[in-house]
Amino acid sequence: MSNHIKYWKGEEELVKDPSFLAVQKNEFPEALPLDEVLSEDGFELNSNRRDFLKYFGFSVTAVALAACYRTPVRKAVPYLVKPEDVTPGVANYYSSTCGSCSVGCGVEVKVREGRPIKIDGSPRSSISKGGLCAQGQAGILSLYDTERLANPTKNGAEVTDWAKLDSEISAALKSMADGGQRIVVLSNTVHSPSALRAVEDFKKAFTTAEHVTYDAISYSGILQANKKDFGKSAIPSYKFDKAELIVSFGADFLGTWISPVEFTKDYTTNRIPTAGREMSKHIQFESTLSLTGTNADDRYPIKAGKEGLYLASLYNAVAQETGGKPMPVAQNMEVAGNGIAKTAKLLAAAKGKSLVISGSSDMAVQCVVNGINMMLENYGKTIDLTNHSNQYKGTDSDEEAVLNDLSAGKIAGIIFWGTNPVYNSNGKRWEEAIKKARLSVSFSLTKDETATHCTYVCPDNHYLESWGDAEPKAGVYHFVQPTISNVFNTRQAPLSLLTWAGALPQREADPFDGKGNNGQKFNTSLYYSYMKDTWKGMLGEGDLDEKFNKCLHDGVWSAEAKEAAAPAYEGNIAEVASAVEAGAKGDGVDLVLYESVGVRDGAHGNNPWLHEMPDPVSKVTWDNYIALPKALAVKLGVGEGDTVNLKAGSLSLSNIPALIQPGQANNTVGIALGYGRTAAGKVGGSKEKNYDSIGFNLYPAMTVSGGSRQRVVKNVELTKGDETYRLAQTQTHHSIEGRDLVRESTFSAWKKAPNAGNDKPKTHVYTIWEKRDYLKDGQPNHRWAMAVDLNACTGCGACVVSCSIENNVPVVGRDEILKRREMHWIRIDRYYAWANPGKEVEGNYITREKEMKKVDASDKGNYEHWEHVKVVHQPMMCQHCSQAPCESVCPVLATTHSSEGLNQMTYNRCIGTKYCGNNCPYKVRRFNWFRYNDNDHFDFHFNNPLGKMVINPDVTVRTRGVMEKCSFCVQRIQEGKLKAKREGRAVTDGEVKTACQRTCPANAIVFGDLHDKNSEVSKLYRNERGFQVLEELNVQSSVMYLTKIRNTENV
Amino acid sequence: MYKIFYLLLTCFYICSAKNSLHSSMIRHFKPLVFSAILAITLSLGAETKGNADEGKKIYEANNCGSCHNLDKKVVGPALRGVGKRRDIAWLTKWIRNNQALIKSGDADANALLKEYGGAQMSTFENITPAQVVDLVAYLDLPKPPPTGGAKKPGVPEPPKSDNTLYILLALIGIFLVLLLILNKVKNTLRKLNAEAAGEELASSNKNWLQRLLPARLANMNQVVLALFSFAIVVILGGGYLYSFGITEVGVQKGYAPKQPIAYSHKLHAGDLKIDCKYCHIGVEESKSATIPSANICMNCHKGIQKRQDDESGVDISPEIQKIYTALDYHPEKSGAEQFGSNGKPIQWIRIHNLPDHAYFNHSQHVKVGKLQCQTCHGPIEKMEVVQQWSTLQMGWCIECHRNTGIDVANNNYYLALHEKASKDMKENKSRSKYFGPDGKVKVTVALNGGLECSKCHY
Repeated sequence: MSNHIKYWKGEEELVKDPSFLAVQKNEFPEALPLDEVLSEDGFELNSNRRDFLKYFGFSVTAVALAACYRTPVRKAVPYLVKPEDVTPGVANYYSSTCGSCSVGCGVEVKVREGRPIKIDGSPRSSISKGGLCAQGQAGILSLYDTERLANPTKNGAEVTDWAKLDSEISAALKSMADGGQRIVVLSNTVHSPSALRAVEDFKKAFTTAEHVTYDAISYSGILQANKKDFGKSAIPSYKFDKAELIVSFGADFLGTWISPVEFTKDYTTNRIPTAGREMSKHIQFESTLSLTGTNADDRYPIKAGKEGLYLASLYNAVAQETGGKPMPVAQNMEVAGNGIAKTAKLLAAAKGKSLVISGSSDMAVQCVVNGINMMLENYGKTIDLTNHSNQYKGTDSDEEAVLNDLSAGKIAGIIFWGTNPVYNSNGKRWEEAIKKARLSVSFSLTKDETATHCTYVCPDNHYLESWGDAEPKAGVYHFVQPTISNVFNTRQAPLSLLTWAGALPQREADPFDGKGNNGQKFNTSLYYSYMKDTWKGMLGEGDLDEKFNKCLHDGVWSAEAKEAAAPAYEGNIAEVASAVEAGAKGDGVDLVLYESVGVRDGAHGNNPWLHEMPDPVSKVTWDNYIALPKALAVKLGVGEGDTVNLKAGSLSLSNIPALIQPGQANNTVGIALGYGRTAAGKVGGSKEKNYDSIGFNLYPAMTVSGGSRQRVVKNVELTKGDETYRLAQTQTHHSIEGRDLVRESTFSAWKKAPNAGNDKPKTHVYTIWEKRDYLKDGQPNHRWAMAVDLNACTGCGACVVSCSIENNVPVVGRDEILKRREMHWIRIDRYYAWANPGKEVEGNYITREKEMKKVDASDKGNYEHWEHVKVVHQPMMCQHCSQAPCESVCPVLATTHSSEGLNQMTYNRCIGTKYCGNNCPYKVRRFNWFRYNDNDHFDFHFNNPLGKMVINPDVTVRTRGVMEKCSFCVQRIQEGKLKAKREGRAVTDGEVKTACQRTCPANAIVFGDLHDKNSEVSKLYRNERGFQVLEELNVQSSVMYLTKIRNTENV
Repeated sequence: MYKIFYLLLTCFYICSAKNSLHSSMIRHFKPLVFSAILAITLSLGAETKGNADEGKKIYEANNCGSCHNLDKKVVGPALRGVGKRRDIAWLTKWIRNNQALIKSGDADANALLKEYGGAQMSTFENITPAQVVDLVAYLDLPKPPPTGGAKKPGVPEPPKSDNTLYILLALIGIFLVLLLILNKVKNTLRKLNAEAAGEELASSNKNWLQRLLPARLANMNQVVLALFSFAIVVILGGGYLYSFGITEVGVQKGYAPKQPIAYSHKLHAGDLKIDCKYCHIGVEESKSATIPSANICMNCHKGIQKRQDDESGVDISPEIQKIYTALDYHPEKSGAEQFGSNGKPIQWIRIHNLPDHAYFNHSQHVKVGKLQCQTCHGPIEKMEVVQQWSTLQMGWCIECHRNTGIDVANNNYYLALHEKASKDMKENKSRSKYFGPDGKVKVTVALNGGLECSKCHY
């Protein structure tokens, strides 16, 4: 059964918008603005003979003079005393723990000559399991951020001497403690045993000190519900690998919810159709189309404000199935297509093997979720509260209390550690409150919104400069070791606390002392000694040095895991029923505030890689926007490029760019948090330095109710804005022209025939080309190839960032992306298709625009089919075609084929005709319009000496006027081959991993040698699901895609 | 004017060459004097039992000099006259296994250990007790009297620049001028002659060009002639510029800048035969061979502070002193304190600069390809001052890749390639690319994809 689903990337493509069609014709739609440039300075294009001679003469002279330039003398400066473990030119890898958010993924840091250049997930870590998200990847650039504070500051002025600052602060703290005045350390979630010990030491020294935890995006609802139901305020460990049925209510667990890398790794283990094994089923109920929603087998749009009621209905439906007691709600809800009833049936059948979660921040809603999981006996099986998570511990009501007390003058000293409430909480009140404190200190690395208002800023180290440990889950320990010495005059936050408390440890004896060891000095942070001391008791008997060093080397250490047991349930579901009903009132438009997958909570708002990465669903870069359902957009008269004014509670924002989001539930709108920074820096926006903010800050729209900040704002008012604004959206930059690029089928069909959806007869192609040597059997060389499983790929975009870092891909910024000049070597194409099984539509799919108009009319303005879309993500990179169309059109042989199957790009030869880009059917070639690495117009990181530290020295930094594209990470291939040659052995399978494959949290990308018949990639090439994109062109690509299989009833 | 200048230059060159000849004669002569003195002293000290000549060999073979100096305390104590200070039995024990001696609680041994900050000496059980006697005999030789140097050895000769071209040019210039003068003289004479004969000159109505050129060319249309000449100039000039551009621009073959330290590869790699890999540690594992860090120099130069034949009277050679300064090293101190904290890295001048966008890996060529350093770097062991030996142009790389064979039989990485080649040979496929005309397997680098772009450009 070959499917005939019509896929489309955006509405403009679907309805064949004339302006879209006009630009679509050309590969490079923007002509060079020569007229504009030349007319500006009095130049004219219609010059005469004399002018020509003048310019000609000048050019010849200039060239002649330039040729007289003397070759510069280059220096080579070796080490004075070479560290034993460093060989210039060879990378070292160190275990550490990612500090970009509080999840605590174990990572491996690649260090070249003392400078970290890449971070990847550590396979030893039970959190990251070898994968890493986009934010974790991009975290390395925060280390080389020129906006970081070079010195501590007092009242905005730099102080280079820490001792002076320390004496002032500790004196102030002491006088407060003596006077019985309160001191609050307001931190984000800290689960490091040593750091927590430092806080205890601080509290011991200053008896009036308290430690309050506050997360920008908190999980207060879950913490409170678990406290109420099980007497334990903690987030449980969710086991997605053990769940056969996953039901999520608005929890974006593959993108942003709690521990997305871990969850993606677990989730995908059951998502690959394997003979003799069932595939897990995933049902998503949500308002905005989240990354997780796009991967669901069945997705039901619901109104966010009524999520509690839907859950209560599900509770009752499950109770009915399992014979439990229903909860008293006035009315049971149902979604179109009887989703609740169907889900309840499936849940009841999958007792103990299912998982129900909700992204709600409402305690009552989470209590209902607990109740359902309790009925289904999931505790101890798919939910483990015994070995709970420590990744988020912040409670919103605590932060609210601190704010109130600080405003009332009841708190004298406030210390901000990893928190920025002026930006991500009630900013105006916090600004005022901080002024009332006698002592305000921030540990921020940059002069962020909160640090601007603090008296002292004592900048913390970046995590790559720090010692540390972490306990992301009970009994799971990770370690942090520095991979570079401090870039600036900074100090680790816990060390600052210890210094003020006068609780510094003794410096360890120098093990090199008196050994005459070529001047090696033992020069480590005092915090190292402190941390080692913490671990003294925990590692048991034996040589501490040896054990501790092993921990640092591995980066992980586990205590014996306790057996997961079902906790005692103390909840009373009837009690919360009224709260749920009360919470679901209101029929107006609901505003859903969500985290975007790239920028997340906004803490890394100055990181250009994250802004440049297209949003996995909307493909918008460099902005947040209001996601409107089609019905609402039509009602407001808003189209693409228009703006919307928003009034949400006390917050009014005007001219928010609008985006019509297929899949957005009617009567709801969504806006991402994490944007609108005013003191992030030159990339993210800074009032002080006069850089524009990116997008709008929606944090002030959140209000605390029932002990937690609500991420759904009810009854918002919307009007059409006066301005227009173009979003830099990459979705239709490379049109599919209606071609058959993705294939999908259902699990039931796959079970009958493994090539379901992929049974297109092979077209016989005649070719004038001789078969390449390496394609023949029994050839000695490698044949590199890749396989991408569309079933595993979630579309998260981590590969995009990883590729940019590995291959020195420049950031080009919003203006260039608007001109379709993004440089990413790998992109993720996202295709929509209608999925409405509603009765109005004849057949399941609307395939033509004419039919769509008919359906629009039959919907009576509800546009319900727009709510029901399904999505396929397809990573697209150079396909390394064996008969590559780009190669045959290059006039200078700059792109050629290697005997190992690689399509090579030689920058030295390229003269920039762009013929190859025009002739590439996959649209994966990128042209360098500017010298991004040395151009202040692109003021991101590439143009300053500190930002350049992140450049991979094994890959050329391309200059203006050349084409570039994915190379299959040829530098890694060469490195892997060379290692094998040096050791006199064949390259082992899996030894060479491309950057995208290495970071993929879903294991969707496999790379290897096809000449090795037992390699992973060879096996996937033999898989019946395999298909090559545009196979009919006979370009013989080297990337095999595997058909997407959904565990649902019909395609 | 130039003539005179070039003549002067030539004279100066010959003189300077003579000078250097003179000095090198002295240098060759000096060791003779030295050994003569040595021989005399040896015969004087005949009553010591050991053979000092043998002792010297043992001293050098065991690299004692890397930690000891005869007359000065360095890492270890000054050794001259040690046989007079210590008992020979004790010395034998100490040299062969000092650690055992220390453990046995020997007071002298422990005092020595303490004096040198706990820095332990290596054990030398390979030295027999009889050899110890020889060694001590060598150490007990009296210090030879300083002779005072006329010229400091160790200062490298300035590299000879090739002046032949200039001399030739100068000669051509002189001859041209002579030719013109003679021509003028000839013309004047002819004129005078004609005047005297009362003849009218035939060529008086021709302009200079017509007079100069042969008749056939001179009668041509002048525009055509001009264009024709212009074309010749353009072709010749263009050809010259092209070859200049290809072979000269950016090609720094022969580049031999003066380095901050006058380090001699001739002395270290040539005379002393130190393995290249001892200092260039990265060459088998990294893309860069690496310029040695100063602490590698110190492995030997803690002990060796000047050339053996240095008779200038200084304690530390000024060039070695530069390493000490860079490391902030003070020979008089001991133990870990020797390297100070005010070190200043040595800024060597990079000689081998690859063209942009090219990737080169030493380990691929040295460890895998088993190439000698000299293949690309030339006779480095004969260079007083290192110079760029090869052009480092792409054509140079390619040529080698075309001709060099891979040792496919002895590296399992090439197993498949080797099997294929052997199979081809067995089946006697006359057209197989894998074996040469001699009928033996020959897989060149090029055959294995060594000419492909992305092997070096990415």
